This record gives sequence, structure tokens and C-alpha cells, in this order.
Amino acid sequence: MSFRYGVPQERDWNALDDVEFRRIIRVEFETNYPTELRYAPRRLRWHETKDWYLRMARKGWIAPNWPLEYGGMGLSASKLLIFQEEAERWGIGRYQDHGTLMLGPVLLRWGTEEQRRRYLPDVLSCKSIWCQGYSEPGAGSDLAGLKTRAVRDGNDFVITGQKIWTTLAHDATHMFALTRTDPDAKKQEGISFLLVDLAQKGVTVRPIRDMAGHEEFCEVFLDEVRTPASNLVGELNKGWTVAKSLLGFERIHVGSPKMPEYGLTVLEAVARARGMWDDPLFREKYYALKLDVAHLADAYNHFTAIVIRGEQLGQDVSYLKIWATETFQRIADLVLETAGPFAAINGTVQVGNTSVDVLASFYKARTPTIYGGSNEIQRNILAQQVLDLPRR
Amino acid sequence: MTAHSIPENETIALLRNSAAGFARFDSRRIRDWRGRSPGFDRVVWQQMAGQGWLSILVPEADGGLGLGIEAAAAVAEQLGRACYPEPFVMAGLLVPGLLAASTNQALKRALLPAALSGDAIFSLAWQPADGSLKPATSAMRASRRNGSIVLSGECRFIVPAQADHYLVLAHTADGPLLVCVDADRIRPGLIEESGPDGFSSAWLRLSDLVAPEAAILMSGVGVTDTVEAALDQAIIVQSAEICGLMQRALELTLDYMRTRQQFGVAIGSFQALQHRAVDLFIQNELARHAKAAAVRAVEHGAQGKALSLVASSAKSRAAHAGLLISTQAIQLHGAIGFTDEYDLGLYVNRMIRLAASLGNAAEHRRRFGDLSEGA
Repeated sequence: MSFRYGVPQERDWNALDDVEFRRIIRVEFETNYPTELRYAPRRLRWHETKDWYLRMARKGWIAPNWPLEYGGMGLSASKLLIFQEEAERWGIGRYQDHGTLMLGPVLLRWGTEEQRRRYLPDVLSCKSIWCQGYSEPGAGSDLAGLKTRAVRDGNDFVITGQKIWTTLAHDATHMFALTRTDPDAKKQEGISFLLVDLAQKGVTVRPIRDMAGHEEFCEVFLDEVRTPASNLVGELNKGWTVAKSLLGFERIHVGSPKMPEYGLTVLEAVARARGMWDDPLFREKYYALKLDVAHLADAYNHFTAIVIRGEQLGQDVSYLKIWATETFQRIADLVLETAGPFAAINGTVQVGNTSVDVLASFYKARTPTIYGGSNEIQRNILAQQVLDLPRR
Repeated sequence: MTAHSIPENETIALLRNSAAGFARFDSRRIRDWRGRSPGFDRVVWQQMAGQGWLSILVPEADGGLGLGIEAAAAVAEQLGRACYPEPFVMAGLLVPGLLAASTNQALKRALLPAALSGDAIFSLAWQPADGSLKPATSAMRASRRNGSIVLSGECRFIVPAQADHYLVLAHTADGPLLVCVDADRIRPGLIEESGPDGFSSAWLRLSDLVAPEAAILMSGVGVTDTVEAALDQAIIVQSAEICGLMQRALELTLDYMRTRQQFGVAIGSFQALQHRAVDLFIQNELARHAKAAAVRAVEHGAQGKALSLVASSAKSRAAHAGLLISTQAIQLHGAIGFTDEYDLGLYVNRMIRLAASLGNAAEHRRRFGDLSEGA
């Protein structure tokens, strides 16, 4: 066993063949992940996922995407996909993992060695939990219109403004935020990427209750909050470039067929329980959706193969997100229709001889078409950058 | 469009490039053959044979190239892009494959070379007149009488309508058989039915047609499986041809959206139209990848039910996407898109034929469902 960055690594994962690697991951997940947390109907809170992720941290599995020398598992692209596939297959709930998913890659690409040494070990031990401060009340799809100001004051930046839709900010200790540092520059050119400690005066985190009754995202008010200038990532006013560099991988991840595949199993369970499985009209709809998911998987495999070959993803990967999230939505909508009166009952409900949470997939399917760049924005990108249609 | 291409090996890339160089879209040629028997150019057919395309699926031992379905799909896609009227999938792929599988060696030696050289055109009559996709339910009956076989019944949707020889799938009390009958014997029972692309299929009605037993290519319970497997492969390659057609129809539409000016700007700058174009692009991509996945499955040895599943998967998407892109292409062009003079109509009309032939999107979704259930 070797220790890197204070993290033990059991072995050289990439030296294993894919089948053996998948087996090891699967055994760990199936043996040790709490059954009651599988396929949670909502984002879990830190107090619920803490035990599991501290176990992952102790095993050195908390950052499968990071290189070995920084305490990650150092997985190759293909091994990383297997790791994620297995997590999704087993329905493992995410914690607020922006620290490993986003901050790590950002600091490795744009950060200084001092920033890495300062922040990454705490991400690995889960001592710090990071949230993403991007959206604002006035800057959603038009993210570059953000107004949160960061003004230089001696060795600090002083930040004032409001972030919103900040996922699990109430679990977070830190935020990486896009802030306006040059109000006179063109929209994208006056933005800087700052690291902010949330445990200080001037920070107010207020959870927002969603229509499913859950509290997964928050408003974060920043009132003259201070952060040292050494927490600037990348160059001053180049934060847009830093943030944009992360998007490709996110879009392939959100394009995975696992969610809709899971939706199909729920749909089948509801249809069988209600005696509609053999109904020809239902079957028409079901198999049309099943083929929509099958062809999503065909396309997804094409893109993952590009990643595995070590090639750059093109802008066309955006369509995966559109097709995956809208297919999931169509499935969730059919779950609701197939459930009939059971759709009006909250939580896990007895339908025939099956227990199923009818509304969970319906609510779960609403947000993916909005976050990470709404599907309308994705269509704009595809139209202009892939189909070469003219801008207005 | 700058979508990522699907990787392929050198042989396939060479074949694709030579097919792209050979098969150029020729509006006048396509229009010339509309409504004119046999609906395509036999000189071009022999040139296609000269390129080796009719030999792709035939094993080397039988004088073919033994290249496999990926090669066939690469060629078919280029023919689709060029909107070729020549019936590559039906007469150039399906039939040579069946002739090569013939257990009647003498007949095979006599027929296969002419099929591969393009000197003779063969057509397969397999589909029941009601349009069912199951060759097992063909309504053509055969009985053996004094060393001959006697054929009665009907087959429909036979492509091409005019051939030199017809392979007829018929059912006897002892199981199915595939028999080769010359055109002059068939012609009295043949009705041509012209289609939207100006190309015809045939409806064959036979009553006590006598053929020698020596004309039987294969017989026995395995025949249905052989024909079904050949049809499934043809369906996958046909999906590739549809992909070529839809890609070109989409390109025409995007070109039009970039150049057509209304309200002082290119109509392609309108967001409502951009978003529709993206949805068409997504369908185009899904069709491409469903087809590629089916091709890969066959290259990895998919047979029987697994083969039927991937064939139905590919065709259900190709037919759906192809028709969607066709109809939306008309709308996005406006009235010009509905004229005969504008070339889009050639693609749309060919698309209607290919989407409907060998099972449309709804039929293949249903078949996919039935196969998934094990029904």
C-alpha cells in the first residue's frame, strides 16, 4: 500500500483488467453501501451519506477521477467510466461532491501548487465540502450576466452579492464562485474564479424548498465576505475560461443512460402491478421508450469510446444531455400516467403486490433539463456551433 | 455538420471513399428512370458489380469478397447520400447471400457468377401479400409432383419488380423451400405496382406454375431461418442506406436555412427553427449510432433472435428519423420543398419507400417488443 497526499492507495487500479476492476468495485458497493439509501428519491444530505463517504475517503476511493499523486485513484478514462457506471447501477446517492468532481480538476488545471496543497487534502478527507456558486437571481441561462461583485481591498477580495440554486450549500463549508471583478469589461471578460470560506460573517445560506417538498438547493447571500487574493484561481478576469473548461465531461456524465434505464424498471413495475403490462397501447409506448434508451446507450458508448481513446469531446456531446434528460422525462411522465390514481399518493405506495414511489421519478426528472445549461441553451449551442446556423 | 465520425478500419474507409467517389448524386439520371422499367440503370448496376459491391457478403470460396456487413453498410450509406435508385440491398446483397448459401451446388455454380458480375438481376419473392414480416407465413404454397414442384399462391412487395430470375420462397407440407424461376415463366403472374419514387415493386400471383426440382436452391426447416437471417442483415444495411438519405436531406435543409433570407436575415438565425433543426440532428445521430451498434453486433457474431433484435432496433430508428427529417425538411424549406423540381423531393420519395420496405418504424418497434418478451 502506498500513501500519496496522505491517502492510501491499495493498488495500481489501471493495471487490472476491466472485468476484475468492475468486480472489485461492485463487491465493495454491494457489500457496504447502506441498502436503505439505494436509489434515494431525492438528493441525500451529508448527515445521511457521511458514513459511506468517510469510508470511501479512508479507502482512498473518494476521488476516483484525480491523479494518484494528488491522492486520487488515478483511474484511466475507461476505469473511471466503470466506476461511475457501477455507482449508478447500484443507485449510490451523491453527497455534495463538487469538491472532487469540479474543484479538484479546476485546481489541477488552473490552480497553483500552494492552492492544491492548501485545499485538496481536506476535500479528500471530506473535512471540507464544496458547493458551486454560479447562478444568480438575474443570471440563469445568461450566466455571464452575473452581478456578484468582488472588489480588491489590500490582500483580500471583498465579495457582495447573491447566489442561487446552489446545490446542497447547507452542507458546504466552502464555495467556488464566479464573481465580477471588472464591471466595465465585456460580460465574459470581467469574471474571476474565487475560492470562498463560508464559515464567516456576512454569509447567509437559506435552503429553498422545492415543489417535491425537498430542500436540495439554496440561496447564498454574500455581504462583504472576504477571501484572500491568493484564492483567485487562474488569472484575474479569466474566470469564464476556467469555468467553461469543466463542461465537456459534465455533459457526457449527465448523458448516461443509467437514469432512464432505471426509469424503465420503475415503469415496468408500475405497469405490471396495475395489470397494464400486456395492454397493446401501453406496450407501444413502452417499447418506443425502451428503444429511445437503447439508442441513447448506443450514442453514449460512442462518446465514452472517444474519452477512452484519449481524444477531445466535440461540442456535439451536448445532444446526449438533451436526449438523456428528455427521454427520462418522457419515461417519468408515462410512470405517472400508468400509475393512475396512485400518482396522487406521496412516497412509497403499495400498488398491487409491489411497493413503488410513483412521484419520485416524476420530480427527479424535472431538474436535469434545467441545470448544467438548460436544454434550450444546449440547443442554441448545437445549432450555432455544430450545425453552423447563423447567430442573430 | 461537425459531428464526430465513427471510427472504422482501413478497408472500410477505403471502400467508403471509393463509394463516395463513384456514387454521385445525379438529379437528371434519377428523374430519367422514374416510371421507366426496370427503374434503374443496368449499366450502372454492372459498374457497381465491377466495384465488387455485389460480392461483399459472399464468401471468398464462392468468388466473393467475404467482407462482412460493415463494408456493405458503408457502401449503402454512400448510395443513400447519392439517392441511387439501383436496388443494392435487395438485389445486390440479399440475393447473392442467399445464392451463396444454396445447398444445390450445380445451381449455385450456374447462377452465382452471373449475380456477382451484374449480368443477371435476381429478385427475392418472400413477403406475404398482407405485408407480414415473417417469412414463415409466406402465402406461396408448393407441392411436389412427378419430379417437379408446383407453385400456387402469392407474394408481394418484390423488389426489383423486373428481374431476370426470381427466387421464390414457398411452403410445402414438408417445410419451406427456395426455388429459382426464370422471368419468362413468372411474368404472366406479375403485376407491377409503382411507388412514390417512380420505382416499382411486384405482386406475384401464381397458379400451378411447374418448376423442375433441379431449380430448388434449398429446402427443409432451416430455409426460413436462412431467409430470415438474410433479411435481418438486409434490414441493417438498408438502415445504413436510409442514414445516407436522411443525412443528405438534413444537409440540404441546413444549407437552405443558412442562405434563405426573410425579414432581412437568414431564416436559420431564428431560434424556433434552430431548435427544430437540432432535434432533427439528434434523430440523425441516434439513427447513425443505432445502425453502427447493429453492424457491430453482426460483426461480433449476433445470430437468430439477437440478430433480429439489433436489426429491428436499427430500422425502427432509421425509419422514424428518416421520415421525421423528410417531413420537417419540407416544412423548413417551405413551398419550394414540395415541388418536383427541387431535389429534396427525390430524397423524400426514396425515403418513403425504404422506410416502408422490410418493415416500418412501428412494425419494428412491435417486433422488438415481441422479441424482447420472448413471444
